[in-house]
Amino acid sequence: MSPIIRVVSLWTRHPGWLFLALLLSLGALTAGVMLMGLSGHYLAVAIAGGVLIVPALLPWTGTARVLFRYGERIVGHEAIFRALADLRVWMFRGLARSAAGGLGLRRTGDALARLVNDVDVLDGLFLRIFVPLMGALLLLPMMFWTLEREHGLAVLVLVPFCFVAFWVPWRAARAAEDNAGKVGLAVAGLRTAALDALHGLREVKIFAAEGRMLAEVQAREAQLLAAQRELAGEGAKLSAMAFVAAQGGILLAIILGFFGLPIAAVAAVLVLTAAFEAVLGLPRAGLLYGQAKKAAARVVQAAETGPPVPEPVKPASMPSRNAIAFEHVSFRYAPDRPFVFEDLSVQLPEGSRTAILGPSGAGKSTIAALILKLIEPVSGQIRFGGTDVAQLPAEALRHRIAYLGQTTHLFADTIRNNLLLGDPKAVDEKLWAVLEAAQVADAIRALPEGLDSWLGEGGATLSGGQGRRLALARTLLMNAPVLLLDEPCAGLDAATEQEFFRVFNAATEGRTVLLILHRLTGVEHLDRIWRFTGRTLVAAAG
Amino acid sequence: MSKTTKPWIKSEQKLGFQAARLSLLFGAVGTMCGVLQAGAAARLLAALLHVQRAGLSAWVSALVFILAVLARAWIQLRNERGNFELGAAARRRLRGKVLSALLALGPAGLRGRHSAELAATAVDRVEAMEGFHARWVPATGLAVMGPAIIGLVALIADWRSGVILIIAGLFVPFAMAVAGIGAGIAAKKQFVAMTRLQVRFLDRIRGISTIVLSGRAEEEAQALGKAAGELRERTMRVLRVAFLSSTALDLAAATALVLIVIRFTPVLHGAHELAPTALFLVLLVPEFFAPLRGFAAVYGDRMAVEAVAEELAALPEAPAAVPAADIRAVAAHGVTLAFDQVTFGWNESRPVLDKLSFKVGRGEMLLLTGASGTGKSTIVDLILGFLEPRDGRITINGAAVDDLVPAARTRMVGWIGQKPVIFAGTIEDNIRFANPAAGGDEVKTAIRNAHLEELIASLPQGIKTPLGEGGFGVSGGQAQRIAIARAFLKDAPLLLLDEPTSHLDPAVERDILESLKHLAAGRTVILATHSTQAMDFAKTIGAKRVDLDALRYASWRGVMA
Repeated sequence: MSPIIRVVSLWTRHPGWLFLALLLSLGALTAGVMLMGLSGHYLAVAIAGGVLIVPALLPWTGTARVLFRYGERIVGHEAIFRALADLRVWMFRGLARSAAGGLGLRRTGDALARLVNDVDVLDGLFLRIFVPLMGALLLLPMMFWTLEREHGLAVLVLVPFCFVAFWVPWRAARAAEDNAGKVGLAVAGLRTAALDALHGLREVKIFAAEGRMLAEVQAREAQLLAAQRELAGEGAKLSAMAFVAAQGGILLAIILGFFGLPIAAVAAVLVLTAAFEAVLGLPRAGLLYGQAKKAAARVVQAAETGPPVPEPVKPASMPSRNAIAFEHVSFRYAPDRPFVFEDLSVQLPEGSRTAILGPSGAGKSTIAALILKLIEPVSGQIRFGGTDVAQLPAEALRHRIAYLGQTTHLFADTIRNNLLLGDPKAVDEKLWAVLEAAQVADAIRALPEGLDSWLGEGGATLSGGQGRRLALARTLLMNAPVLLLDEPCAGLDAATEQEFFRVFNAATEGRTVLLILHRLTGVEHLDRIWRFTGRTLVAAAG
Repeated sequence: MSKTTKPWIKSEQKLGFQAARLSLLFGAVGTMCGVLQAGAAARLLAALLHVQRAGLSAWVSALVFILAVLARAWIQLRNERGNFELGAAARRRLRGKVLSALLALGPAGLRGRHSAELAATAVDRVEAMEGFHARWVPATGLAVMGPAIIGLVALIADWRSGVILIIAGLFVPFAMAVAGIGAGIAAKKQFVAMTRLQVRFLDRIRGISTIVLSGRAEEEAQALGKAAGELRERTMRVLRVAFLSSTALDLAAATALVLIVIRFTPVLHGAHELAPTALFLVLLVPEFFAPLRGFAAVYGDRMAVEAVAEELAALPEAPAAVPAADIRAVAAHGVTLAFDQVTFGWNESRPVLDKLSFKVGRGEMLLLTGASGTGKSTIVDLILGFLEPRDGRITINGAAVDDLVPAARTRMVGWIGQKPVIFAGTIEDNIRFANPAAGGDEVKTAIRNAHLEELIASLPQGIKTPLGEGGFGVSGGQAQRIAIARAFLKDAPLLLLDEPTSHLDPAVERDILESLKHLAAGRTVILATHSTQAMDFAKTIGAKRVDLDALRYASWRGVMA
């Protein structure tokens, strides 16, 4: 199934709304065409000296046109808002299923943001592409019927109509599709250049590279503009062609009038004026379609990739114990990539506190991903409470393990809602208790709205250390027997880091703890320390 | 909306209309061609109905029709391309301004703001201004000029029909303002609501692994659906009113047409000379309303500006250039750096540095120690010129640093921080970043001095290996070696080391310190650190020490000499 069809099939959950929107749109179109046709007809009859009639039908058609248009807009938006919600929920569910391992542990916020942009592009699919195209499709037989009745030759004017309504938009879609990749690449290049200049601002200033960086950004910008210019130029050309074809069609109708019925010709000219007005927007819709097609492909691909680790067919029941053991585990990300580790065995007994140390990039986070079943070992087993995790359902397993990583996200929401993610049923006293344990309660009490303070854009800003401690509070609230922390203090200064671990020691007394760090601060309470060296773990002093 | 936003949009608007003058002129000519075309079509139709002799005049009309169509097509083509260039020029201007301001402000000026967000401002928010300049400005200009021209022509051709058209035309903005009460506010609300949903969705997607690993995916999916449903209900309430303004446009167009037809039908009977006029005016109706429809269609582009203007308008202005007077350079052979009673604080009441004085002689090393927050990085930033002291003087070889030509000051100082930034580019690009004009031998020496030879030899593409996003991921130690190579290549007499080893594990730290020792030889060095290994290293070199913790407790008196 093509991605676009897959996205469109999501709409079918609200067939009534969509059908009504389409019907009203068609009604509005018909009324509009009829209004012009009748005007022409009455005028022509009057001019030709025909019987004087009071054009009573005319105001009614006008009224119908206005009302249908209003209805079309309202119902169309109602329909599209429903589809829009469905699309997002579907996308979210799909990503949640497939991407936790693929995207979760790595910092791929930008990749995700790009996907969200793609979803936004798809919002225009119904109202800006589908409805006008359906209108043109339905207008075609209607016009054929009317014109054919007048004169056989009159059908000829449908040639320019089809050209404008179908051929030009199709060309535009093709052009946009070809161009979408180019523009995407250019935008990515521009973003990288801008990010480099700003992220490396210190280096830029110190090495007096302002001019160089600005020139680089401008060069990337010129590439982007060139790619966009290409499409804009093609779009302009196609639009102009469509315009000439439409006016040519009208001229053709007039000329045909000299051979056939003059009154019908006058009406036809006005009908065509209205009909072409209805389809002249389609080349632009074609451009949009070309972009939407690419976007749909990416969105569907992201949402419909299966889970990274298959769920067991017959899941074993969750063991009562919470010890974790690696037994001869080997892992690599792909057959052509080197092993991250080979034949790794390590025991994390229940209630023990362990640290795994190693330089960044050595594969420490891979251990966390394996325990959480985001990836599976190439060989060997990981046992949780004595059972191979491959036999355990991922969600039940993750409920036993509270994970706090460097990418753990604080949401743009209230502090309360951020905490409730750990335990949706927790009452306020419990929230304050974990905030106290994480030693961030005072800072939050000092905020004017307390737990209801909004975090993130336009809200309360917590310092880096406070933010990490809030994330810790949420992790503690999960009340899971195992705590798995992967560089929880990345990006914080040493004093704040020490402070965090002091708090952490006290708050996690008695639980099974695994810390994954690149170095110790010296204040962690630990039973055993392992060091990552060359694809395996060796015991370090501790 | 903040106070700066409105004037900012106003000034953008003014610039936009200035730039669009040619486009608007062509637009007006296009409208006149449209009038000509309608006239020609009316004459042709009249000829068709045998009220005029189909002779020479019909041929002339057909020719005028064709020429007018071709002219309009050309103008349309020209204007679409030209309007794209308007948008492109505006984006170039805005992006240049934004980036120049950010680059001029430097890291201290942007303190507390995330670079990714600033990059989004420079890329996406500027991109969002395209619609305003490329579409909204031309469409708005035309929405005023087009109907005015056609209304005038209609008045001349048949004053009654002209009046009908003009009243209908005036009704549109009137209805937009009154009935829509509007349309403006409503659409704005809808846009804001839509933006909120998008922000929420983006936020949840960015944090999706946190949600999944907390086992809350299904709840969040339902909450998202519910939020979208609420948004729909709220928005639809608003839209029901907002769409009345579009309906007013439809109503005006339909009424004008019907009234003109009704006005002519009775009098046409037997009055053949009126026929072309009647047809002409009927054909003018769609032409009259087309620019107004065009204007309604670009409303979203105007709204998009509201969403980004706040961020763009709030960007600080680039600081004024240093006055030309009293600027001097100092000889750069060996540097003596001194702080004389320097005070600095982010706010008046809590100074980070209070009357700090010290002096580092040529080729000496100064060790700065103290817990984080005691001002180590502040001292480094003051020397780099990213911060200005509130009080006191910083001198290099006796000359106050503010008197130095900024370029000369930059040339004199080398710096290595906690985590060097690796730019998208090859290893060579990254090292040459320090000095693009450096010769091949200089780069080679820097690589050797930084002990990067082994790494480069192990890579298949060697020095041309791409780094940065999507490229080879360097470890913390390797990145620091690149920074050291940069420092060698820059060869500045004053070297600032700000926690150069705090992100490294002990074995790598020892290695890096060894390289730094080599780099430090013959230079004046300031080393800020709290690593014991680094402190030991400084002691072996015979560094002086300023302990900021001790100073803090020692009643804030500047010591050291």
